[in-house]
Amino acid sequence: MSFTKNTGGKALDLLQNLPRITLANLRPEPGTKKAEKKRGRGQHGGNRSGRGHKGERQRGNRPRLGFEGGQTPFYLAIPKYGYNEGHSRRAQYQPLTLNRLQYLIDLGRIDPTQPIDLTQLVNGRGVTIQPQKRDYGVQLVGEGAGIFAAKVNIEVQMASEEAIAAIERNGGIVTTGFYDPRSLAVLCKPVPYFLSGQPIPKRMLPGEDMVPYYTDAANRGYLADPEKIQKARIALAQKYGYILPDISKDELFHMLFMRKDPRQIFFGLSPGWVVNMAEKKILKPTDDKLLQYYNS
Amino acid sequence: MFRISVTVCGRGISKRLASSFSGENALPSNLRIPSNLVDRARAKRPPPPSDSSLPVLRRCDAAIPVHLSPVQTWVETLERRDSKLLGLVDLHPDVFAVPTRIDILHEVELWQRNFKRISRAHTKVRSEVSGGGRKPWRQKGSGKARHGSIRSPIWRGGGVSHGPRGPTSFYYMLPMKVRVQGLKIALSSKLAQDYLHVVDTLNIPTPDPQYLMDLIRYRHWGESVLIVDAGEELPENILQATESLKTVNVIPAIGLNVHSMLKHEVLVLTLEAVKFLENKLLWHNERFTPLYPFKLPYTDLP
Repeated sequence: MSFTKNTGGKALDLLQNLPRITLANLRPEPGTKKAEKKRGRGQHGGNRSGRGHKGERQRGNRPRLGFEGGQTPFYLAIPKYGYNEGHSRRAQYQPLTLNRLQYLIDLGRIDPTQPIDLTQLVNGRGVTIQPQKRDYGVQLVGEGAGIFAAKVNIEVQMASEEAIAAIERNGGIVTTGFYDPRSLAVLCKPVPYFLSGQPIPKRMLPGEDMVPYYTDAANRGYLADPEKIQKARIALAQKYGYILPDISKDELFHMLFMRKDPRQIFFGLSPGWVVNMAEKKILKPTDDKLLQYYNS
Repeated sequence: MFRISVTVCGRGISKRLASSFSGENALPSNLRIPSNLVDRARAKRPPPPSDSSLPVLRRCDAAIPVHLSPVQTWVETLERRDSKLLGLVDLHPDVFAVPTRIDILHEVELWQRNFKRISRAHTKVRSEVSGGGRKPWRQKGSGKARHGSIRSPIWRGGGVSHGPRGPTSFYYMLPMKVRVQGLKIALSSKLAQDYLHVVDTLNIPTPDPQYLMDLIRYRHWGESVLIVDAGEELPENILQATESLKTVNVIPAIGLNVHSMLKHEVLVLTLEAVKFLENKLLWHNERFTPLYPFKLPYTDLP
């Protein structure tokens, strides 16, 4: 077998003349396995077994960590300040640079001919979202605005002004939408959620502090007035000095104008529906009260 | 300075002289196998020449990288005792010609041995040994050593201070790709050292185990043979024949593992098994990281 044309070819050619690899021939790479220190055995591990001579050290009675013999310890002497106060109640947004977005589109991991959602980003392994760790979604960051050249309909949770400008300059559409933690978990990992057999929940509206953000046209919020958004697009184009392309004459016009309802999590699926993946069926509720709840 | 350089050169010269006496390709003494353990008749099969007249029965399904070329080997049959070669088969280089790493094989072998291990050794501590609540004799005045309980570790019949405590699990998982690479390395090393044989099907004429032993002895395959087929349903004859044999074993391809491959001297794969293994092992080269376990359905992963 001439292996020389393949990687490791020379090694495989040498292997042809060496003894058979068996269970007796295996060994770890020299230097990877360091022998464990055995306390209380032999000349070097024995005698005091690495505990020192007499006193609290040998007798295992040392005081607690941080104790400084009675002097006010460092961790008590320094005054408190609320750097981390309420850290577990602070929303975090995973940054997504335009560089990364362009990279993903170029490699084919994200399809620009379909609306780009957080589910698409996670499926293309573009971002890693941990809903359990106070992540509230993804924020679009303007790094790479100079090289960005893709026409996309993207929905994120927060976006910086430069990022919005870069996307609209290329004829795309940005929307910012709010997802409460439960909806975010469903959005990021839809398959395990559908397999659990629960109906799709309705997306909750943002809390008091985030309502001004999502009703502001400058942030392209999903609760903002569409006319104000149009005016904001023109204003941004004037500010950054580019001509705003006319999207209504685009071939992908229908796709670019697809938007989700404020209570909707997935395109094409309404809250209240149960998706049966094994039989490829969707079950919709018929009870009045349920319909009233899910349509509110 | 001059004398030191002369002695250094002298050592080098003597080493080179020694190797030229024994032959340039001689193995070091610890790798030479004694002559009574070597099967002289098991000569190395020459690899299939590039202008061979036999048909190539199977080409690789997956795309081969441009800088690599597929490895070829013979296809035999188990129908007759004498080795008639049916044709050639193309094997994907990313499965059957990967660089050899015996440290990965060592890691995977240790993992296979230990991850299932549950050590049920359990000793009783002084509090668990029956009795020993009362002080055996008064502290002072009896002339005996002071003790608090008859079950302390210094007593005969007392508890063990630092013994094994209850069922201990040695479970750990090696990364999936390391385990996959271990399989690829084992397959490649079997192929490189001429211990891999490809067979078209496992249909044998008789369920007699002696037929298989004769076949293996005639073809000088080796002492122990591991036969691998793709599907769950294996032909009756081969199952019956190998049932009573200790050194010849049949397994489905999903059961292929590094320990079995190294334990058995020879590995025999059917054409369907080769296809199945290439499919399964090459998938890991191009997959995404899992968002949730791979057992759940994915629409976009191949």
